[in-house]
Formats: sequence, C-alpha cells, structure tokens
Amino acid sequence: MAVHTTLPYRFFLSIALLSITAVSEPTDLTTELVSLRSSSESGVIRLNDVSKFITSVATPRPYSLIIFFNSIDLNSNPLQNFRREFGFVSASFIANNNNRSDVTNKLFFCEIDSSDSESFHRFGIQSLPQICLVDPSMENLRHHERGMMEEADVDGTAESVAEFVESRTKLTVGPIHRPPLLSKTQIGVIASLIAISAPFLIKKFLKGETFLHDSRFWQYGAVLVYFFSVSGTMHNIINSIPMYLRDPEDSNRLVFFYEEPEIQLGAEALSVGLLYTGVGLLLAYVTDALVRVRNVNEQRVAMVLVMVVSFLAVKRVVYLNNWKTGYQIQMYWPSSWQ
Amino acid sequence: MAAVESSLPPGTPSAMRNAFGTVLSALILVLIGVLAFSIRLFSVIKYESVIHEFDPYFNYRVTQFLSKNGIYEFWNWFDDRTWYPLGRVIGGTVYPGLTLTAGTIWWVLNSINIPLSVETVCVFTAPVFSAFASWATYLLTKEVKGSGAGLAAAALLAMVPSYISRSVAGSYDNEAVAIFALIFTFYLYIKTLNTGSLFYATLNAIAYFYMVCSWGGYTFIINLIPMHVLLCIVTGRYSPRLYIAYAPLVVLGTLLAALVPVVGFNAVLTSEHFASFLVFIIIHVVALVYYIKGILTPKMFKVAVTLVVSIGLVVCLIVVAVLVALVASSPTGGWSGRSLSLLDPTYASKYIPIIASVSEHQPPTWPSYFMDINVLAFLVPAGIIACFSPLSDASSFVVLYIVMSVYFSGVMVRLMLVLAPAACIMSGIALSQAFDVFTGSIKYQLSSNSKDDAEDNTTTKNAPKDDAASGKTDKGEEVAKERSSKKGKKKEREPADKPSVKSKIVKKKALVLPLETSIVALLLLIMLGAFYVIHCVWAAAEAYSAPSIVLTSKSHDGLHVFDDFRESYAWLSHNTDVDDKVASWWDYGYQTTAMANRTVIVDNNTWNNTHIATVGTAMSSPEKAAWEIFNSLDVKYVLVVFGGVIGYPSDDINKFLWMVRIGGGVFPHIKEADYLRDGQYRIDSEATPTMLNCLMYKLCYYRFVETDGKGYDRVRRTEIGKKHFKLTHFEEVFTSHHWMVRIYKLKPQKNRIRGRAKKLKLKTSSGVSSKSAKKNPWM
Repeated sequence: MAVHTTLPYRFFLSIALLSITAVSEPTDLTTELVSLRSSSESGVIRLNDVSKFITSVATPRPYSLIIFFNSIDLNSNPLQNFRREFGFVSASFIANNNNRSDVTNKLFFCEIDSSDSESFHRFGIQSLPQICLVDPSMENLRHHERGMMEEADVDGTAESVAEFVESRTKLTVGPIHRPPLLSKTQIGVIASLIAISAPFLIKKFLKGETFLHDSRFWQYGAVLVYFFSVSGTMHNIINSIPMYLRDPEDSNRLVFFYEEPEIQLGAEALSVGLLYTGVGLLLAYVTDALVRVRNVNEQRVAMVLVMVVSFLAVKRVVYLNNWKTGYQIQMYWPSSWQ
Repeated sequence: MAAVESSLPPGTPSAMRNAFGTVLSALILVLIGVLAFSIRLFSVIKYESVIHEFDPYFNYRVTQFLSKNGIYEFWNWFDDRTWYPLGRVIGGTVYPGLTLTAGTIWWVLNSINIPLSVETVCVFTAPVFSAFASWATYLLTKEVKGSGAGLAAAALLAMVPSYISRSVAGSYDNEAVAIFALIFTFYLYIKTLNTGSLFYATLNAIAYFYMVCSWGGYTFIINLIPMHVLLCIVTGRYSPRLYIAYAPLVVLGTLLAALVPVVGFNAVLTSEHFASFLVFIIIHVVALVYYIKGILTPKMFKVAVTLVVSIGLVVCLIVVAVLVALVASSPTGGWSGRSLSLLDPTYASKYIPIIASVSEHQPPTWPSYFMDINVLAFLVPAGIIACFSPLSDASSFVVLYIVMSVYFSGVMVRLMLVLAPAACIMSGIALSQAFDVFTGSIKYQLSSNSKDDAEDNTTTKNAPKDDAASGKTDKGEEVAKERSSKKGKKKEREPADKPSVKSKIVKKKALVLPLETSIVALLLLIMLGAFYVIHCVWAAAEAYSAPSIVLTSKSHDGLHVFDDFRESYAWLSHNTDVDDKVASWWDYGYQTTAMANRTVIVDNNTWNNTHIATVGTAMSSPEKAAWEIFNSLDVKYVLVVFGGVIGYPSDDINKFLWMVRIGGGVFPHIKEADYLRDGQYRIDSEATPTMLNCLMYKLCYYRFVETDGKGYDRVRRTEIGKKHFKLTHFEEVFTSHHWMVRIYKLKPQKNRIRGRAKKLKLKTSSGVSSKSAKKNPWM
C-alpha cells in the first residue's frame, strides 16, 4: 500500500473523485429523491430515470432503493394489491421514522412500470411481482440476485416486504399502518344512520313486518347454505381453487372435472352441488306444489319430466363419483347369480 | 299426530288399528336396533374383536385403569407413561363419559355374573350405542313430523356411513356415545318445547351433562340451542314453552357442565359459551316485555315499550362492550383453535399446523358427501322444504340444525358426523312425505275407482300391487326394514289421517297425483332407498371396518395379513425395560402406551405443541443433533413406521413434511424449503442433502437396499436417493416382518474416562487406529 501513496497517485485519485462528484452530486440526488417522495401519496417514487439515480452514481451511494416492479397494463388484481401493500410499507417506514431524516433518507421506495421496458431489461425482470433492493454498493444491475426478494417470500403482504427490508438494510420499518377499512367520517355517518333508523326498525320488528318474519327468506337461505356446503365451496375457498383449468396438453381445451377425490374444481363442485340440491327440490316440488295442480295431464307430464331428470341426475352423480374416487360398489348378489 | 291419535275413543276400530300401529312401530324399532348393531359387526367378522386405530387404545387403557382401580383413583390419575418428562393428568384432561359408560356396563355385567373382559365391552360399546342413537332419532323426528318420519329417519340413521365410520365394533371413541347423547339432548329440547314440561327440561339438562362428559362437540349444542331460541324470538315465536325449554338448560346445564373436570370453569369463561348467556339475557328481556304486555293496556304498553327499548339498548350496548373487551383481552379472543378454524376456515391453515396436519380437519370435497351420507344428499332439500310447510318451533330447530351442521361439515370433514343425524332426520321427513303423497294418491284413486267400478274389480287390482311391493321387499333384508318402516307408518297413519283426508278431498277436489306416475315414482324412491342400503353395507364392510392396527391386502395369491404393529409392540413389551422411553411421531403414542406399556414422549393428545415440535425437530435433524435431542429426553428407543416395502401409504415418510412444519414452527432452524427440491417433496436421487441426511430418512431407509437390491420404495414409486449408509448414533434392534415398524436403540454415550484411558493406551501402543476412534466416538 505504502508504495501507492505517492504524490502523483494521490493527485490522480483526487482528480478522479472530483470528476465523479461532478457527474452526479449524491447529496443533491438525495434531496431530489426526498422531494420526489414528498410529492407522491404513500412515498413511493415513480422511478423514470434509472441511470440518474442508480447507474451513473458512483458506489457507494448514500442511499438504498427498494424497487417494486409493477405493470399497470397487466391489470392483475393480486399485483395491484401487492403494490398497495408496498405503499403501506413505504408510508409506515416514513411515519415510524418521522423525526429521523438520517434514517428516512437512507432508503427510498420506488416503483418502475413495465412501460419502461428499458429499465425492466436492465434489471432482467422476467416475472412479476418482483421486488429488488438496490443497496449502496450494487453496480451491475443484471447480477442482482442478492438484492432480489426470494420468490418464496414474495407472498403479497406488507409484512414480508418489511421483513425483507429489515433483513437487508439494518433499518427498522416498524409496525405496518394500514388505513382502517372505513374512515372516521364514514363510521360516523353509518353509526348515526343506525341510530336514527333503530327506533323505526325496532317498531317494525315489534309489529312483525320485517323480512325476518317471512319464512320464505329462511327457506331460501337454508337451501342456499345447503347447496354451497354440499358442493364443497369451503374447500375451494380455503385452497383458493380456480373454476376450471386449461388442459396442459391442449391449451384450447378446458378441464372442468378433476379425477382425484381430494381435489375438485370450482365448476365441478357447483354443478354437482346443483345436482344434489336439484333432485331434492324437484321431489319437494312434486310433493308440495304439484299435488295442488288441478289438471291431471299437466301433473302427469310434470311428474314424468321430474322423474326423468332426477333419475338422470342421480345416475350422473353416481357415475361421476365412481369415476372420481375409483370405488366400485359391490352388490353382494348371491354367488350363484353372477 | 299424537294428539289426534290420543283423542280417539278406545274400543273403536281406529283405536284398535292405532294399537296395532304402536306395536308394529315398536317391532320395527327393535329391528332397526338390530340392524344398527349388526351392520357394525363387519370389523369383528372380517378381522377379529380388537380395538381400532389410535385414540380408542387410549380410551381402552383408561377404561382398564378405571375397572381395576375404581372411580376415585381414575379421577386423580396422573399418568407418568406419556409426555415424558411432563406426564399428564388423565382424570382432569379427559372426557370421562365414554370410559364411565363402558366401565359401568362392564361392572353391571360382571355383577350379574356375565364375565366379559373389559376389551369385549369396549369393542361393542359403539354398536350398542348406535342402536340407542337410532331410537333417539326416532323420538326426535317423531316430535317434529310424526312417527312415520321418525321410523324412516331411524332406519336411515341406523346405517348412515358417516356414523358407521365412527362406530363400528372396536372403534371405541368418544363419538360412539356422543352422537347418541347429541340426538337425545336435541330430542329432549324439542320435547320440552312442544310440551312446556319442566320435567323434560330437567332431563334435558341431564342429557346435556352426559354430552358434556362425552365429547368436546358439546359446544355445538350450547351454541345451536341458543341460536334457535334467538331465531324464535326474532321471528316472533316467543312462548313460555320456549322459556322453559331454554332457561333451565342454561342454568342447570352450565352448573352440571362445570362439574366435568376437563370443562370446569371454561363453562363460564370461554367464548364458546358466551352465546348461551347472551341469549339467556335476551330471553329474560323478551319474557319481561311479554309479561308487561299482558298486564298493560295497549296504549300504556306503547309508552312502556319506548321506555324499555331505550333503556334496554343502552344496557345491551354496555354488555356487548364489556364482552368485546373481555374477549379481546385474551390472546385467541377466548376461542380455542379448533372453534376458530370453524368460524374463519382459513385460520388453521395459516396459524396452527398441528390442527391443519390432521386429515380429518380438512374441508371435504363433494365425493365425501356422497361417500358419507350418500343419497341423503339428494333428499335433504326436500326435507328442508317439508319442514317449512308448516313451520313449527320443532321443525325450525331441525332446519337450523341441518344448516349449521352442513356448513360446519363443509369446513371440517370430521364434522360430517354431526351432519349425519340431521341429514337422516331431513331425509326421513322427505321420504315419509313423499311416500305419504304417492301411496295416498294410489290408494285414493284405487278406492275412487272402486266406487265407480264394481267392487270385486278393485280387490283384484289392489292385490297385485301389494304383492309386487312385498315381492320387492324380499330382495334385500335391509330394504325390507326400511320399506317396512314406511309401511308401518302408512298403516299407522292412514287410519287416523284418512277421515280428515277424505273430508278435504270432498271440499278441495283431491290433493293427489296421477296413479301410474305415482307408482313409478314410488318404485324410483324404493330404488333410491335400495341403492342407499347397498352403499351403506358396502361402506360398512369394505371402507370403514379396517381396524388399521391389522392390515390386509388382497392379491392374486390370496389374502395377506400385516400384523406388524402388534408384533412390534409385543417386542417392545417383552424386550425392553419397563421404564424405557420410546420416541415416535405422536400418532403412535397411544398405541405404544396401551399395547407395549412403555413411556412415550408425545401422544395423540396433542396438548403440548412445543413437545411435539421437539420430536419433529429431532426427526428432521441430522443423526448427531437428533441423538442429542433424544438423549436429553432420556429416550432409549426410537420407533418409525415405514411402508416402502409393502406400499403402506400412511407411514412416517409421508407424514414427514408435517414433522418439519411443526418442528419449524417452534425451532426456526428447521426450514421446510431445505427438504424440498423446487417445491417438491422427494426422496429419490434428486432429494436435497438435508432430506437425505435427516434422521427420519436414515431410520426408514437403513438397510432398505438389502430387500430388493435396488431400494425401490413402493409408496413413493421411486428408487431412493441414498442407498448405502451406516448409522453412527443409532443401532437397529428390531424390524418387523414386513418392515412396517422399525425400532432403533440410541447408542450409549461415550464414557469419557474410559475414552481418555483408551486414548492414552492408543498413544502408547501406536497412533494408527486413533483416527478411526475419533471418527466414531460412540463406539
């Protein structure tokens, strides 16, 4: 080392340093970022000029950038929800470190849209959602593996982003502040509406005139709950299963029925639930409504129709069940009959 | 119906028919009881009279203790054979209903000199109680829609697969008696509601007490009944009968429930019970309002209402605020994890892996409904509609019951069991109504034909019909029973109904359907019933009778029996010291304590997540780390269940990811991702090094390659990744006949002084072999 600390070397070094500062003044950039941040709603900066803030700034930069790669054109709900969550992290970060500019000016939350294809290319973004942390020393954007959030962690919640930031930057984000579901004025309006309408509702209720006193309401409700339960809707909600799949071999063909007893698709579940419920409703129709019909021929036609439909429905369910589970019910005929 | 029957004067022909009907229904009920009992004996006939699965072994062990040591010892029993080193207070943490029931049966039988073993009593408790349950169903449905529907529902319940799955002979578990208690409690509630009798209300509280003793599912009752009361109030159906049905149940029931040690103060402290207290307050307010309404003039009443409503609202708000504050101050909001996962179905999968890991806590798909309640799924909607015409207090209760249970069954497949009685009741009502309408139409038209035509013409027409019907009956015995129940109902009901029906006919011009379509519809319904019977018998015989402690498989060269579990537990009990500790995954805890009588670290009573996570971590760790964990727990033997040789799919390798998850939940250095290759769980050559080096892999696949030379796993259908390896810290001591159970012994820790002496010796002799000694310090 001592060899290099000669005067010419020092001179060269200072020139080089000077030239760098001339290209981009880090402190200026920080203030510019701060102003950009204060102008945006949740503190997420729309990064239009990647080179200005990242590539043309000499490392180590005085700040880190955490970039959310967004695509408004994609019009994907989960992506936009994630973007909102990202905004919450940004806002919480600023709010939690409000009085400490030395902390808040270390990290800026940014966003790059897919319309800026050049930046996407620079980062080598192949899939969304993606979050990248550009730390002060990072130079080559294409080799940014260490800055990328791991795929397993990108689960779309603000907490995962905050955890990622905290683990990589040693800055604390603090608790995430989400805006309440209803704003205070909305709550006030709703509460006052309830308070005003309560006496009327109670009066109506005491007179027995609400829909709650209509047994039809309960009847339809009961049948609906039954329908959704026997079709296994809860299974589909909990495991967030789609209505149908595309055939992996032929993308034009849709798969509605899945041959595995533990898994069902949405359309499949609803159609079988319909068959389950439909037969019962038809039976109820015959025993409750059709008996009151005066015209015998009408009764006859309706009953034949009902019986054919019910028979086919039951047959269909039995067939589907055997196909799906692979069970075959043994009939236990005497062995001499077989 | 009952009122009509009893109002008939004695001695008349209708009274005679009535008496005949009563005798016939009694006979049918006896047959239903026999059916319910005998359909559950497939497991005994096909296998042997043996206790099944996991939990029943624990119950069996408790019953043994109870019958040997008496009830006081049982109440104070601290079991040091499980959850080592923590132990477990059995008397205070177990629902005693089942064990007390079986213990009492055993004691009674023995005192009248019928020397049955405790095991036999335990094996047959469930079938006996399913007969009781079908009788209770009859009573309940009779209260709702008459005895015809009651008989149909009882026959359906006697063989509903969902219930059979939990009550075959040998399945000695809480649900076996709890379902009877559940239905019987509901029956007494409805009975009180219909009669307003305090006698039944007291019985109801006692039945509820029995239910609380038997099963944690009692919370379903204590939430469903308040909901029904609230529903009645909201829909303007309040009556003093409702008050009598509800208020004594809450007061007496809660007091009695608090007597059960496992419930104790939970009966007033946890959120599961809050609904009942809230409704208790509301019903008093409503009762007061009705009382005031009775003593005041309408005008005065209006004034009073405004007053009471305004004060009442304030009081309600305060109470609600206090409740919310109380509930919010407890960590899970006062709700237990299982109940929470019912309300928010996604809760368990997110936060409680130990609940999510149990397959019976998963939400079911539609084939589950077909498997478990079969054609009842088609009939229930008709039953719901029938309950609404007309809607009574009783029928609104069963509607609420079916709606709630069907929703809960949709969240957790295990609760299909609670749905089954409701589905049977509803289908019974639907079937009975349909049979009523169709047979009524046929009978009416035949009799009206007979009026038009000659008399003898009708008799010839009538006779073949009956013959055809009875000819069908002979085909299957079960069909006969189910059908005969309908016949009984018909015969019993028609005499009483006929006059009123006829008078209606005259006025309204007949509520009937065409003759020939009615006959076809009747036949179709009978076919549906026959299909149900066939399905139920098949399910009882094939699907639900396996004791899972003895396995069988059929192949071209005959029947194979795999009795490895009992073989291994017997080995443990004969070849190990009484105080040795055996570690295994929690599934096998109960069996090990009950059959091998050895101390276990964790068992199926998953009360301590950390302890289970410790075992999970040990199984997921490399050999040395695992040895250290097990050694710190005094474990002598490690037992693993391995199905790779015979293709037994529910073995430890398939459960292993849950061990990782549960372990990782407490000890973060265990990460699920380390065991997965690209998100896939594999044990072949693509498996991750962490997977190939973890204890579970090594214990399962140690020497596995010697079986066929290739190491082909018949469950995972692949060749294993690491075939030749040696164990450093464990030694194999036992592998069962079909390799299903493998038991390893922990190698003893190196004696330090001897080791040093050895080293010294080695140094003096030669330095050559010191290297190998260092490599394997445990030898």
